[in-house]
Amino acid sequence: MPQQEVLEKRFVVIGAGPAGLTAAYELAKLDLHPLVVEEYDKVGGLARTENYQGFHFDMGGHRFFTKVNEVNKMWREVLNGNFLRRPRLSRIFYNCKFFSYPLKPLNALVGLGFLESTWILLSYLKWQIFPYQQEDNFEQWVTNRFGKRLFQTFFKTYTEKVWGIPCTELKAEWAAQRIKDLSLKTALISMFVNSKTTIKTLIEEFDYPRLGPGMMWRAVQEEIERRDGRVQLNSDVVQINRTDKRIDSIVISENGRQTTIQGTHSISSMPVTDFVKRLRPEPGLEVLRAAERLKYRDFLTVCLIVDKPELFPDNWIYVHDPAVKVGRIQNFKNWSPDMVPDSSKSSLGMEYFCTEGDELWNMSDADLVELGKHEVQRIGLASYYDIQDGCVFRVPKSYPVYDSDYQDSLVRLKEFVSGLENFETIGRNGLHRYNNQDHAMLTGMLAVRNLVLGERNDLWSVNADQEYHEEIRAEAELLSPDVVESIEGALAKVFLKLDRIAFGLSVGTLSGLVLFLATLILVLKGGDVVGPRLALLSQYFPGYTVSAEGSLVGLFYGFIAGFSSGWSFAFLRNAAVFLYAAVVHRRAELYVLRKLFEYF
Amino acid sequence: MSEPGKTLDDIVLTRLLHLNAKVQGLVTGTLLGLAIFVATNWLVLKGPTIGSEGQPVMGPHLSLLGQYFIGYKVTFLGSLIGFAYGFVLGFIGGYSLSILYNWFVNRKERR
Repeated sequence: MPQQEVLEKRFVVIGAGPAGLTAAYELAKLDLHPLVVEEYDKVGGLARTENYQGFHFDMGGHRFFTKVNEVNKMWREVLNGNFLRRPRLSRIFYNCKFFSYPLKPLNALVGLGFLESTWILLSYLKWQIFPYQQEDNFEQWVTNRFGKRLFQTFFKTYTEKVWGIPCTELKAEWAAQRIKDLSLKTALISMFVNSKTTIKTLIEEFDYPRLGPGMMWRAVQEEIERRDGRVQLNSDVVQINRTDKRIDSIVISENGRQTTIQGTHSISSMPVTDFVKRLRPEPGLEVLRAAERLKYRDFLTVCLIVDKPELFPDNWIYVHDPAVKVGRIQNFKNWSPDMVPDSSKSSLGMEYFCTEGDELWNMSDADLVELGKHEVQRIGLASYYDIQDGCVFRVPKSYPVYDSDYQDSLVRLKEFVSGLENFETIGRNGLHRYNNQDHAMLTGMLAVRNLVLGERNDLWSVNADQEYHEEIRAEAELLSPDVVESIEGALAKVFLKLDRIAFGLSVGTLSGLVLFLATLILVLKGGDVVGPRLALLSQYFPGYTVSAEGSLVGLFYGFIAGFSSGWSFAFLRNAAVFLYAAVVHRRAELYVLRKLFEYF
Repeated sequence: MSEPGKTLDDIVLTRLLHLNAKVQGLVTGTLLGLAIFVATNWLVLKGPTIGSEGQPVMGPHLSLLGQYFIGYKVTFLGSLIGFAYGFVLGFIGGYSLSILYNWFVNRKERR
């Protein structure tokens, strides 16, 4: 693309979250001076870090781990020495006990006690023998794999807290997607490579900015502004004007004052549903109806300041226990010691999953802080009286909901939005995909390449599902491509089928020939009694004698016996190999499923 | 073995194993040679047994191999000769088995 044409472009980016700011950062690096408009009063979007009384609160807890090289490079470039390598511990709280996370069967059985464990085992056996014939919903799907009892213990309550709907209403595909792309190669390689170092890197440790993810996004904002870009906060997009398939201008409202921004190209990370609703002229009724059908789940964090230097060793705890409403508890000091300004104190983030407008969402901040204080004491993590202060932050549209209608609606919206010529929609809510921070950033990078360089990257295919396997997949990907290819080649050789008929025929032919020659040699050598020991074979092969005719009979019997042995060997060998492959695959699937909550 | 555009799952489910004749020959030959070597020396270490006519006999049944392997006896030297015979026979067996198997498989795949 000619340089002049590139320089004439004027880019407007809607949203200063990870996706929007990444897009703007890339544009700024190309000296394209982007304008970023953000509804909120600070940058970071869903990955922002709030501040209260000098304490930093990460909205959701964002581990910095990625398989996307460009994203990793940008993190290092921006944060430089402000990355900390942190040890990770996260557990499940259920029935007044803590359980390892990811779930470890032995730990779970010990923690639940002998009687409950027995019931769980019996239930598991029952559902293995008599599974649901159809797996339409999440409950049926998990029950068929873990048994009803374990489903009710470890899956039901937390899943329902997060999504706010019964597990019977959550589609089975949602869970099935988590493992559907887990290839045999990935499973096998993860079994064969030395996983000690990689597991430690990927599971027991993670990177984190010293002052939370907001530190990253503030640094990106400064870099954009240093390069003559602009980040305009408190600017709500109220209208988007278009002419047919081109976006012409964006009307923003800043403190009640409306301004129209002209741009040649636009990138939006605002929820795609809001985007289409604000278009003028409006898109067709079908598109608007599709937008209406897409749903979101929201959450709020009750931030508590605790007058104790240490509370518990975890970075975060999943609260499955139905006796409390809180879903997850973040211990920010364990994410980074600098998240608290005073080392004699700790800070907690009590995360409540809710839906905008529901009872929890509408509770007053004071009531929510009281609720948080009571629940943290009930769980036993801190005393009510040690909590010296608290506040509440609400995060609307945190999770795109994958309900039974969402795919059809999303296809309709995608068709419409993809038809816009000078526009790209990016990020978790822009694409209504459950992308983590790194994949959201990747969509921002790819959008810039599409608009500036004329590339045709499909942002909708930045696959969120890959994340569910990333830790397993990463083990394979940490190896060099040459090594992976060699391993794959070797595995393919080992796991190929032995053809039963061909192997039977070969062994049969050889066995027949051996017996034929063995008989004939003795006949040719002659003697008073010819081959008395070999003649004993007649006990098994009726009609066989050590004679010229007997050698032909031996050829026949040898072939039959050899064929049977060869065929049986090939059958058993293939069965053993496939059983092993199935076990390895199943084990990898269960590994992913044991970590299911990580992806909520 | 890697094929562009095909996953390991595809390959494993659709392709048949081909045997490497030399490797198969070497493995089978070594195993058979070692089996005769060990079996012979085992009997040598155990010492002779008493035959039906009261005379000492060394491995009366294993020594029947001498009918096919000229020069083979149940002695230490015989174990070395037996190893050589076993290796050669095993190699020929394994090699032929692989050639035959691959021939059958190729015919099948061509069909």
